[in-house]
Amino acid sequence: MPDFSLSPEQVSLVDLARKFARTVMAPQAAECDRTGRFPEEIYRKAFDAGLVNLNVPQEYGGSGLSLLDQCLIVEELAYACAGMTTSIIANCLALEPILLGGTVEQRERFLKPFCAKYQLASFCLTEPTGGSDAGALRTRATRDGSDYLLDGEKCFITNAPHASLYTVFATVDPSQRHRGITAFVVPRSTPGITPGPDEEKMGHRASSTSTIRFEQVRVPAENRLGAEGEGFALAMRTLDQTRTPIGALATGIAQAALDHAARYALQRRSFGRPIAEHQAIQIKLANMVQRVRAARLLTWQAAAAIDAGARGTLESSIAKCFASDTAMEVADEAIQTFGGYGYMKSYPVEKLLRDAKLTQIYEGANEIQRLVIARELLATYA
Amino acid sequence: MEVVVLIKPVPEAETRLRPSADGRRWDEEGVKFVLAGYDESAVEQALLLKESAPGTTVRALSLGPAPRTEEVLRSALALGCDRASWIEAPAEALGDPVGVARALAAFLRREPIGLVIAGKQSLDEESGVVPLALAAMLGVPGFGGVTNLRWSTAGGVTFDRVLADSVESWESSVPIVIGLQQAWNDPRTAKLPNILKSRRLPIERVAIGDLAGEHPSDARIERFRFQLPSPRTGAKIIDGQTPDEVAEKLVRLLRDEAHVLP
Ligand SMILES: Cc1cc2nc3c(=O)[nH]c(=O)nc-3n(C[C@H](O)[C@H](O)[C@H](O)COP(=O)(O)OP(=O)(O)OC[C@H]3O[C@@H](n4cnc5c(N)ncnc54)[C@H](O)[C@@H]3O)c2cc1C
Repeated sequence: MPDFSLSPEQVSLVDLARKFARTVMAPQAAECDRTGRFPEEIYRKAFDAGLVNLNVPQEYGGSGLSLLDQCLIVEELAYACAGMTTSIIANCLALEPILLGGTVEQRERFLKPFCAKYQLASFCLTEPTGGSDAGALRTRATRDGSDYLLDGEKCFITNAPHASLYTVFATVDPSQRHRGITAFVVPRSTPGITPGPDEEKMGHRASSTSTIRFEQVRVPAENRLGAEGEGFALAMRTLDQTRTPIGALATGIAQAALDHAARYALQRRSFGRPIAEHQAIQIKLANMVQRVRAARLLTWQAAAAIDAGARGTLESSIAKCFASDTAMEVADEAIQTFGGYGYMKSYPVEKLLRDAKLTQIYEGANEIQRLVIARELLATYA
Repeated sequence: MEVVVLIKPVPEAETRLRPSADGRRWDEEGVKFVLAGYDESAVEQALLLKESAPGTTVRALSLGPAPRTEEVLRSALALGCDRASWIEAPAEALGDPVGVARALAAFLRREPIGLVIAGKQSLDEESGVVPLALAAMLGVPGFGGVTNLRWSTAGGVTFDRVLADSVESWESSVPIVIGLQQAWNDPRTAKLPNILKSRRLPIERVAIGDLAGEHPSDARIERFRFQLPSPRTGAKIIDGQTPDEVAEKLVRLLRDEAHVLP
């Protein structure tokens, strides 16, 4: 019988994240959402508190948390602001390929100096011509002596203008499709790198998203992660790790929506009584809490399975897909519970819907998650 | 020198206390206990003093039951205290502040005493008795309501007491027990790596019954009832179509019913 209770250590991690989320992030969330400001001072404070680089082992200067512990923290942060959380956890995504595919020497060389101070990193996979079909990416890596030259454009890259390190996926031979894809670690200081302007986004507006161009960017072969052609598998293994915290992020949004809706329902009166006494609203709340709790448990289950050594492709895809659909549904019902006020920007729930939407798209769109889930499922019957 | 900071687990700020089934105390079921309020300030002050004088160490000391007492001591370690000591005692022992002070005194007498800092009062019981009773039992000076606590050049401490319409500044040698109103800084928050590290640090444990002359059932006082204040009645919501109408009704009520307007 699994034990769903948190250890005292996990409780203290949740307390830390909750305090940070509610005292540092939440007070700025509405302003950043309105203006699209990138609150670097908050990300710096998150670094000082040890809330960035959660997945990097302590020997390299990170926090060295299990995936489950990462999820506990991410849910708390996202409860206060999903956009800030996306920018905070982008480092985990960008550094994971170095953890999974880097040699000991590469991990020492890249992670130690990187984690020693506040810095951001970006994971550069998606391209303007396609994200879901990563095997078709076009950014070229051309061998030149002991170096490679990178040429191409990436898009929708979180934190790109603010990052000092990039993990870049490029192809040494497009005709080989995913078997040509190769991963590189590229410092921002390398000539030829141009991030684009911030995109104007529907949600996650405290996060920064932009294109980034690589023109004749010279990268030494010792910055290549694994062998040529191993980049696609490395990207997929990375996403197997980082998808589950997206489930936690979505759960945080959903929990916030539920809390707002339930509190409002107790206060708002119609036809002489609080709307919480109308059965239609009760049924909404009852459905919302079921989904939120199921999303959390699926997320914990995926994280626990991966922590125990499983690859977890199926579990993490289920968690990410279910939790992000839950965030959308619960945020939608929260707005409905608020009625007209829910549609107003001066109330907090419409932001939750806009933030929830992204969780169905990034780190593998939910259509792709469902393809993966079905493939993994059917394989168990074949 | 070692600074001892006295801390006590208290219910989290958002907790709604309910009377227990026997009506004598509040129900601890599901209540989350934390390091909070004046105690957080006391820990912050102890750490500031440590940082301002090399060679200073800080020991957190708490009396109470598992698991909450261990948890607040770990919080104190995560914030930067060097050592933690736990006097294991049943929750009931906390209801008798003089008994608590006696046990703390018995514990502290085992070693030379330096500076002892406590919060002015605990957030849950608010009696404020412990620091002063402890000072009396140890036979050392004791002060409550202290701010601006610093090391003096003479090796003791200086501090202020803010009274209703004046501020007093004092200097004292150590040992001394201070009931702290406020630290110079807002309490810091623990960093994640220090939280992880604090889980692995040892905590010194002593059972209250093993302290000289102490027995958990020694309490001389007993609380026989715990009640929540009855909800206030008589509130009135003034309806009206326009602000003018509401204001007019309000003025009429204040004049004719409350008799606070001529
Ligand atoms: C705010 C934001 C931040 C992001 N951050 C990063 C980042 O840091 N790094 C990074 O590399 N990427 C990032 N992305 C990119 C993101 O991962 C992609 O947008 C996502 O993978 C989808 O790719 P696409 O946008 O090209 O859509 P497409 O791949 O063009 O898909 C369009 C639609 O078609 C569906 N679809 C595609 N193929 C199939 C199929 N075979 N079967 C059924 N349906 C299909 C998709 O599910 C989607 O609904 C970010 C995106 C956003 C919006």
